[in-house]
Amino acid sequence: MIAEAVSPGFIRRRARLYAGVALVSGTNGKTTTSSMLRAILDGAGTSTVGNESGANLRQGIATSLLRVPVATALAVLEVDEATLTNVMPELEPRVLVLTNVFRDQMDRFGEVERVIELLERSCDLLPEDATILANVDDPLLWPALEHRDPVGFGIRLLQAPASVPSMRVETEVCSRCGEPLVYTSRTFAHLGVAGCSGCSWRSAEPTYVGTITERGGLRLVTLEVAGERLTLPTGGVHNAYNAIAAIAAADQLGVSMSQAVQTLRSFQPRFGRAEQVQVGGRSVWLALMKNPGAAHVLIDEIADDPRVGSVVVSVNDAAADGHDISWIWDVDFERLVRAGLPLVPSGKRVGDVAVRLKYTGGSVEPQHPDPLDAITAALAVCPSDRSPVVLATYTAMLSVRKAFGGQVASLADAPV
Amino acid sequence: MIGNAADLVIVHLYPDLLMSYGDRGNVLTLVRRAEWRGFSVRVIGVARREQLPTTIDLILIGGGSDRIQGLVGNDLAGRGGELAELVGGNTVILGVCAGYQLLGHRYVGVDGGEVRGLGLLDVTTTAGATRIVGRVSTRASFDNRSFDVSGFENHAGRTFLGAGVSPLCSVPKGKGNNGVDGTEGAVNGSVVGTYLHGPMLPTAPAFADALLVRALARATGGAPLRPLDDSIEEAAELSERTRHRKQLTSRGLTRTSTWANWGRAHRLPPRE
Repeated sequence: MIAEAVSPGFIRRRARLYAGVALVSGTNGKTTTSSMLRAILDGAGTSTVGNESGANLRQGIATSLLRVPVATALAVLEVDEATLTNVMPELEPRVLVLTNVFRDQMDRFGEVERVIELLERSCDLLPEDATILANVDDPLLWPALEHRDPVGFGIRLLQAPASVPSMRVETEVCSRCGEPLVYTSRTFAHLGVAGCSGCSWRSAEPTYVGTITERGGLRLVTLEVAGERLTLPTGGVHNAYNAIAAIAAADQLGVSMSQAVQTLRSFQPRFGRAEQVQVGGRSVWLALMKNPGAAHVLIDEIADDPRVGSVVVSVNDAAADGHDISWIWDVDFERLVRAGLPLVPSGKRVGDVAVRLKYTGGSVEPQHPDPLDAITAALAVCPSDRSPVVLATYTAMLSVRKAFGGQVASLADAPV
Repeated sequence: MIGNAADLVIVHLYPDLLMSYGDRGNVLTLVRRAEWRGFSVRVIGVARREQLPTTIDLILIGGGSDRIQGLVGNDLAGRGGELAELVGGNTVILGVCAGYQLLGHRYVGVDGGEVRGLGLLDVTTTAGATRIVGRVSTRASFDNRSFDVSGFENHAGRTFLGAGVSPLCSVPKGKGNNGVDGTEGAVNGSVVGTYLHGPMLPTAPAFADALLVRALARATGGAPLRPLDDSIEEAAELSERTRHRKQLTSRGLTRTSTWANWGRAHRLPPRE
């Protein structure tokens, strides 16, 4: 931060000390994809430098480059969507990974179109020989990049999902002509293989494909990549996307896909990404619900999982969560109700969560603003052979973790 | 009564396009509050080029980006006569954000492109260079009563009211229709427009019911509705109102609040 203030060319000079720079941006999956990519590169004997979760603005990037690298090291950085155009000319990346575009932090971006425009502009600032790796299954993102010859990654499902979502997260219209998109297969939310009903646009074929062969709720997901079987110890279709993106990026940086798969078999999730904690001998799952897209994919996994017994919905509205929480009305909590799961409202906006859950028509437990109280309540209504899941926005997840850090014992001792 | 129509027929216009701010919550609130009182409800989503049903008690038009607004503009303009006729027959219309702008005479976007509106509200909107973004807690006036409402606004449009409408709410300077005249939203009879999403109706049960009383007139003759237990809704609204006031105060006192710092760090690059 200080170095940045002293020398405006700091980022450029530091970045040039590395053998190469890879950037990861997009709405969801930045942290997991970049940490998977680092794990793969580290596993292949290439040392890496990266930024910590969420430190993805200009200052965080400058700070992460302060460490003195060995000449062969690669920098793997997750970059905020709006910061990308700002740092791109200085970072001169070899690889840019774009994960997806979802409605997120609209109080900051205004419109999802603005995020797409920012990502598109950032591609125009890339060095000539750089590779754009992008999610070919995202019909909002991909068409905006097509003229820059991106390399696509995508996910295919061996079996169609058990239930079709009743709620749309994004407007599903053609980027070219505005007519509705028709999906031949859908992985989650607006991601999938689609074509336009009004013009000739259709999804491109992915160069890198992961095929999901088995889904195990939040616990695991198995996919087949380049003939290899990869079981990730963290579930959900979104993590399959993160994995294929990381594998694709590693391949572009010279690590074979089979070696990448090998490393990812033991990959451990990061902050709030389907973590499991023990409370008084019982498991509680923590899942970060950043925006409606993230909520959608989590509910896909939870609703059909017989190991889940109750759900805490914890929503805060600090800057990092987004001040506007109207998106909770676009989340299919009704699916959890249909699955018979008791719901516990929590977080700083507990009142609004309680209203949202009341209008599902399902059984709603009393409100608990405090996450620890909410988890205790969720354990009390959860059958003993099942686990509660905590769906929490970013700062709500911070307070859940803080509560566990200091008071796990007292929670464990509480009557459940 | 017309055929075997439900007691309440709600049309959600362009539910696949104008849906960006939890607009579904307004629909769900009206549906549940009617159902909890024993009325049968039918919700019909109407997309571009689809016909409107013959009986409609209430129409909801939600929010969307400039691009999406442009996509529905022509289709909506083509329905002007039909919708004006429905309003003459007391159909209630609630437009939120883009939906509000489209109820007016026209919307001039950031790029100067003009989208013709329905002209059902005497308002005109032009996109500004900046967006008006933030929480709002105020009171809404409708049918000679006033109601607590809280919501969130996020719009580039600056809307100015003509003589043919009344403002829905009054708000502090810098917020609302245009950031200048202290008004928010507009009402003319059974046609209501507002920038407040959140969505607005779930935590404004009394206002939702006022819309329902009008919309259910075909079934009830305009009789008052049986009260419901709204303690959860009212507590949520009150808590938001209280927090909002506290935050305003603390931000006024300390110029370098965490939020302001965050805002600086997260500033977007200028548009090209």
